Amino acid sequence: MSVTTAKPRSEPGWASELLYLARRYPLGVAGAIIMTLFVFSALFANVVAPLDPFSTNPRASLAPPGGEYLMGADVMGRDVFSRIIHGARISLAVALGATFLGSGLGAALGLASGYVGGWFDLIVQRLGEIMQALPLLVMALVITASLGPSLTNTIIAIAIPLIPNVARVIRANVLSLRELPFVEAAKATGMSELRVAVVHVLPNTLAPLIVLATAQLGSTILTEASLSFLGLGVPEPYPSWGRMLSESAAEYVRTAPWLVIFPGLAISAVVFGANLLGDALRDALDPRQRD
Amino acid sequence: MLSYVIRRLGLMVLTLFGVSIAIFLLLRIVPGNIADILFDSAGLIDPAEKAKIVHDLGLDKPLVVQYAQWIGGLLHGDLGYSYVSEKPVAQEILPRIPITARLAGLALFFAIVTGVPLGVISAVKQNTWLDYVLRVTSLSGLSLPSFWLGLLILMAFVHYLGSIPIYDRTPDSFGALVTMLGVPAAAVGFRSSALIMRLTRSSMLEVLRQDYVRTARSKGLPERAITFDHALRNAVLPVITVIGVETAFLFGGLIVTETVFNIPGVARFLVEAIRWRDYPMVQNLVMFIAVVVVTVNLLVDLAYMLVDPRIRYGE
Amino acid sequence: MMRQEARSPSVRTADARWTSLVRTALRAAAACALAVPLLAVSPATIAHAQKQGGVLRVTHRDNPPSASIHEEATISTDMPFMAVFNNLVVFDPDSKQNRLDRIVPELATSWKWSDDGRNLTFQLRDGVKWHDGKPFTSADVKCTWDMVSGKVDGKMRKNPRKSWFINLREITTNGDREVTFHLKDPEPSFLAMLAGGFSPVYPCHVPAAQMRTHPIGTGPFKFKEFRQNESIKLVRNPDYWKPGKPYLDGIEYTIITSRATMVLALEAGKFDLSFTGELTPELVKDVEAQVPQMQCVVQPSNTQGNLLVNREKAPFDDARIRKAMALAIDRKAFSDILSHGVDQIGGAMLPPPEGRWGWSPEFRETVPGYAADVEHSRAEGRKLMQEAGYGPDKPLQIKVSTRNIALYRDAAVILIDHLKNVYIQGELEPLDSSVWYARLARKDYTVGMNVQGTGIDDPDVMFFENYTCGSERNYTGYCNPELEKQFHRQSMMTDFDARRKLVWDIDKALQEDGARPVIYHEKGGTCWWPQVKGLKLAVNSIYNHWRFDDVWQDR
Repeated sequence: MSVTTAKPRSEPGWASELLYLARRYPLGVAGAIIMTLFVFSALFANVVAPLDPFSTNPRASLAPPGGEYLMGADVMGRDVFSRIIHGARISLAVALGATFLGSGLGAALGLASGYVGGWFDLIVQRLGEIMQALPLLVMALVITASLGPSLTNTIIAIAIPLIPNVARVIRANVLSLRELPFVEAAKATGMSELRVAVVHVLPNTLAPLIVLATAQLGSTILTEASLSFLGLGVPEPYPSWGRMLSESAAEYVRTAPWLVIFPGLAISAVVFGANLLGDALRDALDPRQRD
Repeated sequence: MLSYVIRRLGLMVLTLFGVSIAIFLLLRIVPGNIADILFDSAGLIDPAEKAKIVHDLGLDKPLVVQYAQWIGGLLHGDLGYSYVSEKPVAQEILPRIPITARLAGLALFFAIVTGVPLGVISAVKQNTWLDYVLRVTSLSGLSLPSFWLGLLILMAFVHYLGSIPIYDRTPDSFGALVTMLGVPAAAVGFRSSALIMRLTRSSMLEVLRQDYVRTARSKGLPERAITFDHALRNAVLPVITVIGVETAFLFGGLIVTETVFNIPGVARFLVEAIRWRDYPMVQNLVMFIAVVVVTVNLLVDLAYMLVDPRIRYGE
Repeated sequence: MMRQEARSPSVRTADARWTSLVRTALRAAAACALAVPLLAVSPATIAHAQKQGGVLRVTHRDNPPSASIHEEATISTDMPFMAVFNNLVVFDPDSKQNRLDRIVPELATSWKWSDDGRNLTFQLRDGVKWHDGKPFTSADVKCTWDMVSGKVDGKMRKNPRKSWFINLREITTNGDREVTFHLKDPEPSFLAMLAGGFSPVYPCHVPAAQMRTHPIGTGPFKFKEFRQNESIKLVRNPDYWKPGKPYLDGIEYTIITSRATMVLALEAGKFDLSFTGELTPELVKDVEAQVPQMQCVVQPSNTQGNLLVNREKAPFDDARIRKAMALAIDRKAFSDILSHGVDQIGGAMLPPPEGRWGWSPEFRETVPGYAADVEHSRAEGRKLMQEAGYGPDKPLQIKVSTRNIALYRDAAVILIDHLKNVYIQGELEPLDSSVWYARLARKDYTVGMNVQGTGIDDPDVMFFENYTCGSERNYTGYCNPELEKQFHRQSMMTDFDARRKLVWDIDKALQEDGARPVIYHEKGGTCWWPQVKGLKLAVNSIYNHWRFDDVWQDR
């Protein structure tokens, strides 16, 4: 991912580049590997998954891990491994969708708010405060309840609570950028306000934006899992990891613990990877926040 | 300082007013109302009877009137009646608050007593294997879904101990409280602990690089004394920050944890109230949560000012 | 998890010959030799010295909408609150099968039908007191059924069983100790409707609103507390009219919505008894494996899964397509997947041996779509679809609507899997519970997967509620006036064998017509620790055996 672009190095060749990175950010590279595996299985789920995640089979109900069913089968005889692979798609869709939507809207609002200022800024700030007065999961709960259960609505419900945080950070960034000499200079050359904003200010907010967005990837996945666990997230037939952990699966905790263990591991591993990567990106892109 | 607090209080009122409008409107665009839910639970579909319930509950009045009635009552301390239990909302919510508050308090306590020392150790032993182990542990604390962790703990308890730590009576002593809520508090507090650990570590590292620490070292003060003296002082800020950040987030964790451990607190109750479209319940619960969050935020900011005199507020 | 349950009949005409109930009973008993093992008395019920005391701890699956049994149709209200009340008459608690000829007195001491079968008179018990100390009289009985039949506005928010009592013309009292129900037409099953858990006698002097939050009854246990989403507590009624009973000091239900937690808590011994029918057959195996001494039964939950097809919407107005869909269903696979083969296959009526009125296995073989050779049926279905203009390259695209609850969704997932076999490509549309029935009522769906319950194993309850033209719960809009005449005919019949034969034929006609193809009859498990004694469940109803006045704990 963008780790490679972060630190332009003098040594030639991607191998030494990677080696350097691995030495400099060992945890970050581990995170990148986990995320690559995750994205890969999501994109090529049809190839990676050995079985159809939807087809039911009475004879395989609660089959233990091993043999044909690598991670066992659920009560409807569906292959858990294949469902986890396909579930990666849902998690990826939710994580990317919600992060892009939330960060995008947040960035746009923050940029506008910081740049336009005045009453617009004031309103955006107050709206942000209102939204932040409610816990993320509570907001997402109410929004999914009002929109109804579907993949798109889950993404929207998770994205909206992300907006104010991003907007706040970007706004603060824009405020400090506005005063910098090169922005002043651009204005002096007669560039329009909008162009200055898009050409000079926006690119300089990208680093904190990327750091923030990556940090949120993990929490969006966790929120989706929690919503699905409460019965409000992405509905069947999509094999959502959170839903795989809830309802009928969780009943069999004792006879078929694999139904609970593997989807939970999948969620944890991906969120873990996203957090590792987020940390490394923060170190690389935003030195001010470095440990 | 005083003018800052007054200004913040003013903004708080404005924010809460905004929250009240937001939740009121959000609930009204939710498809289906209490009449639908009540009839659904009886498998009935008689539009006329349904209309009667809607009328009896005043749900056919204009939105402005409904809103004014709610806020008017709220200002007089009248929270209205639950649509489902038909009991006063206050009577439903108030007994449940201490339960959630105790759980949250225990969780934060757990987070502080584990997070701070481990964070300090991690910083002091920077880049050793111990540091890596602790960092990975803290990151996994931010990665495990708390309901999953809760389920695994329940499973392990039943499997190995033959008992189950769920809430089955009102605890009558502090000991009983800890034995009953300790496990769920740890499950939900793991995340906060991880967060405190990370922040403590990074602020410790920052301090250890400071000139005065170098001076202390060069003066020959024992390493241990330096660490603990500065550690204790520097642990305060991350803890305050985490309390600020986590109040809102912890609530999400509490919702699922109360579900898994069957704890009858306000968090789980909110989910049920949304499911039943019990507007008076949801509205007042959400307002309560918002009041807690903005109050904690204010207190956190004030605490910052007290702890770190460099911080000044109010442009 | 809410399930729908219970309801029924409308107006009946035509005359009937009234034969002696005794003869019917004898014949019925003979005909039910099949069910003899079910009727055997379990060892636990043989009286050895019952011990007094102890609180029975029971799990509860969700928050009951209210405490008022007459306002609800769900087991969530019926099971915990039945012990607060008494009926006039009740299905014999010692009989494992609920049936018309096994009904015993409760608040009534005796009953008598008039010669024309239109008037049912009860003599009432003396000296019974409500929990608040007021005496129970015939006025309470009249009040209750005036309200339930809708003759008087009883200020109930809902009245789900109004249709059971449409045949009730009037109730009269004669002094404090005699009450008579006057029917428009003879209806032997009327007595069965009074004998179920859904027919408690309410006190006249307590308003309906209070009955929802703090019910007052005459039963063995008094209401103590109902905390929303948390618990229900009942305490022993020391003035119960049955001397020496009940044995328990109280009953406490704890509401646990997470099923995983519920199972673990039951296994860890936090509870004595699980909520009825809440454990899937597979889970019962789990519980029995983990705790070998646990007592478990797996019995029909009075719930059936059925396919709803909106025949008013194109292309489903085409009978060929409806038939093809019915032919695509592999009922055995449903049962195998949903319950490891424990769920039963039948028509609208619950199949034997548990059910009283369902088809015999031999008769079932003669019904189209129920044949063992599913592939043959599906080939036939594909032919029909091709006639209607569909094929492998041109599948019919549909939405399968269902409630967003695991019980419904799992069945819908299988249904979609099966419909693929007849060139139908289904997409699942999960609907929130708050909109599901509203959508059904507006007929705003094309294909739906529905799960419905029935309060009493009785043809009157089943047919009049679900299959008469214009009936409220006739979700598919099925209307067959010829068949409806048969509904009335069977309702007035007193001869069990003859009535059952007719019921079989009606049920067959309904399935042939594809009125609302019945896919499976669900079974659910109930488990209790061995110290719980005297619990007697019926095989064909989850609603009627929760008085708890014979239950005791051997600790």
